[in-house]
Amino acid sequence: MGSEQISIAATDGDAGPKLPGPFGVGRYAKTLRDELRKRARVRLIGEVTGLRHTPKQTYFELRDAEGAVPCTIWADELERLELPEGALRDGAEFVAAGGPDYFIGSAVSSPGFSFRVTHLRLAGEGDLLARLDALRKQLRAEGLFELQKQLTRPRLPKTLGVVTAESGAARRDLLAGLRRRGWAGTVIWAFAPVQDRRAAPSITASIQELAARPEVEAIVITRGGGSLADLWAFCDETLCRTVAMLRVPVISAIGHERDSTLIDDVAAIACSTPTHAAEAAVPLDCVGARRGLERCAASLLRAGEGAVGARTRHLAALARGPARALKRERVALNQKTREIRASAERGLGERTAFQRRIALVVLDRAVRRAAGAEARSRREALRRAEVALRAHEPERTLERGYALAEDAAGEPVTSAADAIAAGRVRLRFADGGVGANIEANGGEG
Amino acid sequence: MSERPESYESAVERLEQIIDRLDSGQAGLRETLDLCREGRELVTYCASELDAVGEGLQELRLDELAAKLEQPTPSGQSRGE
Repeated sequence: MGSEQISIAATDGDAGPKLPGPFGVGRYAKTLRDELRKRARVRLIGEVTGLRHTPKQTYFELRDAEGAVPCTIWADELERLELPEGALRDGAEFVAAGGPDYFIGSAVSSPGFSFRVTHLRLAGEGDLLARLDALRKQLRAEGLFELQKQLTRPRLPKTLGVVTAESGAARRDLLAGLRRRGWAGTVIWAFAPVQDRRAAPSITASIQELAARPEVEAIVITRGGGSLADLWAFCDETLCRTVAMLRVPVISAIGHERDSTLIDDVAAIACSTPTHAAEAAVPLDCVGARRGLERCAASLLRAGEGAVGARTRHLAALARGPARALKRERVALNQKTREIRASAERGLGERTAFQRRIALVVLDRAVRRAAGAEARSRREALRRAEVALRAHEPERTLERGYALAEDAAGEPVTSAADAIAAGRVRLRFADGGVGANIEANGGEG
Repeated sequence: MSERPESYESAVERLEQIIDRLDSGQAGLRETLDLCREGRELVTYCASELDAVGEGLQELRLDELAAKLEQPTPSGQSRGE
């Protein structure tokens, strides 16, 4: 122990006897304090807990889900800040500016680390939004926003769990919404102080208990509107992580502005109002579903009866088919018969005409043949008659030397008396005629 | 019912398929009758599900339910006494 310079900078080396020192603990404490006071001054935001006042100093812790820092502020500095009466209280969200410090203690007092606060103010909307934004990014990066959204929400749950305030308007609105859906199942109420910004642990426990009940098919968390500070419990990291990991779908309806709380992001579905939450919790409009079911039943009845009826009619039609086909065939047959008859008559006429023509030709030929024979016969007879006739012709007699007496009219004079009476005759010889005067008695003499 | 539907949703989905098939007019007589029978069973099931949430809203309190669970059974009490 001596005047050796104490260094609290990081060193490598042996973890044992070869390390620097030993130093007097008071000196080391002072050095540690001095080094800490050189650290950067920053602002912290968190929830005040363990608030305690002493005449010289005020002590409290600033906490959030990840950790806490003990803080101290001198009483006079706190007084100069002129915070609103009662503002600094447990559960309040504060922004503290300052830096690390170390109380070295004494022979009779205990040492301790603290964040020496030099300025303190209530956290504003902007501070909360900044914290919310950081937390939102973190949970999103971990994929916690998607887990609930992948769950299947029943369209017709029989039992719903609801976390809300017992006397809030949200409860009334949710019930009214469920009744409007025609839904009258079972609601298990988990009443929690949702108006309290420190209610996150209570809400978390209620949700876990509801989710543990097997009959609960969906959970609704709802409360009315408010500032972000009022709704801050629903941005609680533990609550949001719990919701994200549940296997029961959670429907959030917190406040009136979407996406203002972190639970909206991790829930299966976020709704703007309790009425909307009722519709999301029971997606099926039970009244409409009943009407639809009645239509389905009627449709099925029609389909069944229609199928049987249509086929019955078809069968009946088929049963009448043979008779109808027979009749049709009979008609067709009659028609064919008529056609055949007509055709036959037409054919017979044509054939008759044809045969007649053939007969005529034959007859003609026969006639012609017959006519030829007759002609020959007639010609022969004629020739014979001609021969006979020629035998009796006067010329033949004349050729034999006879002469034919004719009167002036060319008529034969066949008697002497006619010759005398004619007085003059013409004597025709075979080679010509000559006139001759008739004399009475001229020949007898 | 040949097989109980898994849920109201699955029942309604199957019912819609059946109606579509019947409306298409492509089902034969045997299939039509089978579909009609299955459809009627699904309608009965869905109606019973709707009836289950239509007979009056029941409100329970989680704290009371939890308290009931924590109460010792009568037999337990007798043993304790």
